[in-house]
Amino acid sequence: MVNGVTLVRIDNRLIHGQIIETWLPYTGAKNVIVANDELANDVLQQEIMSLAIPQTVKSSFVNIESLAEEVEQVKSRKNSGILVLFSNCSDAKRSFDSGFCFDILNIGNVHYSPGKKQVSPSVALSDEDERCLRQLFRKGIELDFRCVPNDPVQVRF
Amino acid sequence: MAKKSDNKEKPVVGVVIVTHGSFGKTLLEAAETVLGPQDNCFPVGVDVNKGVDETMESIRSAIRSVENGKGVLALTDLFGGSPTTMSLSLMKSENLEVITGVNLPMVVATLQSRSMPLNILAEKVKDAARQGIKVAGAMLRKKVKK
Repeated sequence: MVNGVTLVRIDNRLIHGQIIETWLPYTGAKNVIVANDELANDVLQQEIMSLAIPQTVKSSFVNIESLAEEVEQVKSRKNSGILVLFSNCSDAKRSFDSGFCFDILNIGNVHYSPGKKQVSPSVALSDEDERCLRQLFRKGIELDFRCVPNDPVQVRF
Repeated sequence: MAKKSDNKEKPVVGVVIVTHGSFGKTLLEAAETVLGPQDNCFPVGVDVNKGVDETMESIRSAIRSVENGKGVLALTDLFGGSPTTMSLSLMKSENLEVITGVNLPMVVATLQSRSMPLNILAEKVKDAARQGIKVAGAMLRKKVKK
């Protein structure tokens, strides 16, 4: 996809080693947009997260409601290719409902806690998580359960 | 938790080694093989299957367990990795410096110079870590040729 969104991913750690070392080189994306209400208001935490991003990649932090708008803006840049990160399933669902369109959702890291069901080594889903993903799946979104790019593609819905 | 050093001794900079998996624990064991047992040094393995808040708490409590009033040096593995970003987040509340790219020369240098002030120690161990990397085979071949 030229000039478009190259990856939409759920990752509870947002920007971290796997993103910088594997997904950025794999997708060739030159922009990372973190959609997270908490981080959108925490400048210090934004600085910490973007410290190790290569200089050729631009990062931005927006709240869920403003994601669609931000994506349109970034698309107009010369160096495009966008990687969008959510920290959880309900944020991804909420952003879809508020107008951010995508056709594939990568579910990378959703950490385990009691009561969740482990569906892959890096993904554990609560009932609410599963409901969000099922709703997205019914709208035609392909679910891609991969932690890093060379994991086998697993679709479980 | 790490053993606090005797209060009568001069306080030293505390050390935490924050890494992916058990790398830090093993690294500390290797350093102790070289230097003997160490106090006020504690490894924290980031388990990616745990939540961010829970992991942050375990790093914070490790830092507090080695703090002796001279600050704490966090040695982390990958610049940009979550052990590093989580450690950086704790700079808000702790007297902390964070150094990435931990290797055995860095750990050894840190444990040997801990009476230095935190900022000077940080620069010193960065240099030690870099100087520990040599293409030693090529160095040897050059010497043998001469």
